[in-house]
Amino acid sequence: MSGLSGFSSVLGAWYDFRDLNNLQRLITEWIAEWGPDWIASIVTGVLGALAILGVIGPTLLILIWVERKVIARFQQRYGPNRVGPKGLLQPVADAVKLILKEQLAPRSADKLLFFLPPVLIFVPGILIWGVLPFGPRMSVADLNVGVLFLLAVSGTAVLVLFMAGWSSNNKYALFGAMRAVAMSISYEVPMVLALLTLVVFSGTMSVNGIVEWQQQEDVIFILLFPLSAVAFFFAASAELNRTPADISEAESEIVAGYHTEYSGMRFGLFYAVELGNTLVVSGFIATFFLGGWWLWGLDQWVPSWIILLVKTGAVYFLLIWTRGTLPRLRVDQLMGFCWKALVPATLLFVVVAFVERTLLISEGWDTTVALPIMAVFNIALTLGAVMLFARVSRPAALRRPARIRMAGAEIGGLRAARQVASRTEEPQFQVGGD
Amino acid sequence: MSDFGFHLAFWALAAMTLGGASMILISRNLIHAVIWLVMSMLGIAGLYLTLSADFIAVVQVLIYVGAISVLMLFAIMLTPRAERDNSQTKISAPAGLVVLLVMIATMWVAVDTDWGPVRDGALTEQARLIGESLIKHYILPFEIGAVLLTAALVGAIALARQDEEDGPVHAASLQAELDGETSIDPADVIDPPLASEPSDGGTTS
Repeated sequence: MSGLSGFSSVLGAWYDFRDLNNLQRLITEWIAEWGPDWIASIVTGVLGALAILGVIGPTLLILIWVERKVIARFQQRYGPNRVGPKGLLQPVADAVKLILKEQLAPRSADKLLFFLPPVLIFVPGILIWGVLPFGPRMSVADLNVGVLFLLAVSGTAVLVLFMAGWSSNNKYALFGAMRAVAMSISYEVPMVLALLTLVVFSGTMSVNGIVEWQQQEDVIFILLFPLSAVAFFFAASAELNRTPADISEAESEIVAGYHTEYSGMRFGLFYAVELGNTLVVSGFIATFFLGGWWLWGLDQWVPSWIILLVKTGAVYFLLIWTRGTLPRLRVDQLMGFCWKALVPATLLFVVVAFVERTLLISEGWDTTVALPIMAVFNIALTLGAVMLFARVSRPAALRRPARIRMAGAEIGGLRAARQVASRTEEPQFQVGGD
Repeated sequence: MSDFGFHLAFWALAAMTLGGASMILISRNLIHAVIWLVMSMLGIAGLYLTLSADFIAVVQVLIYVGAISVLMLFAIMLTPRAERDNSQTKISAPAGLVVLLVMIATMWVAVDTDWGPVRDGALTEQARLIGESLIKHYILPFEIGAVLLTAALVGAIALARQDEEDGPVHAASLQAELDGETSIDPADVIDPPLASEPSDGGTTS
């Protein structure tokens, strides 16, 4: 796949940095010469884990700075700019401060369950990187059931959050934990359905297989199933507790949610894993919907993992953007949006994917002709669904904009809006300025 | 994988599964018991992995660890008067008897079945095979399961909806009982009528 015609002499050599798998394969082959193969599998696993940790650790430090700086720009502030050049050393200073801080634990906390979560939260956070393909052969474990693995591992994280919230023996922490659990149960449904669309259409559950399908058919999935992409994006940002949906740690409502009682580096670990998860979810969105390591032949000239990293960065910027600009949703709004909007919409597109897949496979339609038609149809369907949702979900007072609203009632609020909306006579007041 | 690595994995996972299962019985706290149950489930998923059944292993984690245990925790948290400790109840004895019978039946099946090694090595494309056998060979159990789940879904919605409709009236009648009143008009409680307010809004002031 990553054959580069001009430089075929270095293809497969350990210094061929386009495919970092070469180095690992060399080590495995070297071990296989003298040792039993279980040493090779263990070494491979340890190498993969070390590579992941080695990439995530420094990246997180930079990402903290990037995120704070970008959000500051969105809010017309400067952001961190005192420690180091342009404030670049701020995350390091923060980390040192967090490590030096006293680790407090409530006296009434459930001791074992209180100490475990900051450690346990790392397990899904690291495992999930294992199925992310950085190149044709560059994933730590290219599982046949990669998509399911991703969902399964991300689903276990909520258990750890619940342990953290419950064991703190703090009302706010428990509220945060309950919200996290409720939100995770709800948003897993559209997430699964959005991925099911891709699995049905590409006919494989391997993450790398989905990328290869996109490469083979010369199309990226966001064009074919834009609504699934948007639903997955929003559901993922809800699972990540990012701001439009961060009700489980909403600081204006419930202090800090499930990690209210965690201080010092324990809080820091939660924070770090959350950032790392954001990064890996951006990577998965880039992989599933934007073609992953493939970009219309550019992967022949640029190392595939650089392409993936650029796409991941773009999605990550989008996540920061939504965090910086959108207000936090209320609990019931968030649940309502999931069950009343995202679930039916993604379900509709699962059915659409079934039908289109049948047309392609059983009826034998030509993919070069059929795929653009399907893309146009699906985009139109997406736009229709979004407009229908906007029409149905806008507040009752806004449905008849010709009428006077809010003005002219001395009580104000919802009651006034209802009263005004129920009126039939001519508007008596000018609506000024709005 | 060689025998040593395989055996190491098997015994470690078996210890994890059985240890978790016995800790469910030993721990006094219901939430702890659920956490131990999760550990046991993870061990079972690992055992599936040693049998090269990665689809079933992942589904085990997805459903039992990610969903069922979370629902259990949710159920424990949402029943405020439930016992929080894993204490004895009156149905311990019959429950133990049922579990014993199930265990005997399972053991009997396990011993009685003629287990042979798989001829062609590990199955690839397990999801496809499972899907095909569900649709072709086991279509009736599959459909029965679907009907059962749909019935459960409808039942849950019916329960939830009933609660929602009765909610405010119920609360109001409770309040009325506290206040010493005997009856209350539901219409007054659910939605305060707007008609009683000045109809011409801002013109009066």
